[in-house]
Amino acid sequence: MTERRVTFTREQIAAYAEASGDVNPIHLDDDFARSVGLPGVIAHGMLQMGILATVAAEEAGGPKRLRRLSVRFAGMVVPGDTVAFTASRSVGERLELAAVNQKGEAVLTKSSADIS
Amino acid sequence: MAAVAGRTYPAVKIEIDAERVAAFANAIGADPDDGVPPTFAAVYSLGVTAPQLFGDEDAAVDFARLLHAEQEFEWQRHPRVGETVSSRGRVASDMSRRGMRFVTLETDTTDAAGAPVCRSRALFVIRA
Repeated sequence: MTERRVTFTREQIAAYAEASGDVNPIHLDDDFARSVGLPGVIAHGMLQMGILATVAAEEAGGPKRLRRLSVRFAGMVVPGDTVAFTASRSVGERLELAAVNQKGEAVLTKSSADIS
Repeated sequence: MAAVAGRTYPAVKIEIDAERVAAFANAIGADPDDGVPPTFAAVYSLGVTAPQLFGDEDAAVDFARLLHAEQEFEWQRHPRVGETVSSRGRVASDMSRRGMRFVTLETDTTDAAGAPVCRSRALFVIRA
């Protein structure tokens, strides 16, 4: 099994916003985020998926071996949250993946990868 | 609001830019020497077609009520830095149920020779 723990920060979320082009203010502006009912800025689901992909890639023996990756974005991640991302071999060329926060809540569900 | 199931958007070409790839790798903690991180598809695939859906007046997607619920990528191969790929989006389904609208946007990315690179499937849920 491969595991990576990430404690999310506003800086990383902002860096991902710039790098990915997803500059939705719910990721960058606390006041805006609260105005739409969020507790404050939240991490992009795609940032979480990106980190999960690095873990899957390591388990697979390199990112080129990733053939398929799918996730459901199940829970919010806010700055200060620590998420444990894990990948383990399932059957055949399938990896089982998980992302669980410090409260034991799964922030990504239905997550799996196929490798070659 | 019109359901736009079956709608296809014009293909968009995008260059896999070295600086962009490096910034993306750093943002997710991937090794920049490992090539293009797989989920850079968030930029070259979904990243070019989702704005087409969101900007489509007929689709009338309320961005403020939208949640990206699920995402899947399938790769025939990963792109290389410096190549140009082409991404084409299609609304695979657009259904409403109990006050929630479920839109699935599929994106096919091909290389300069027309060979498949990546297929993306994004499920967006828009609440009433």
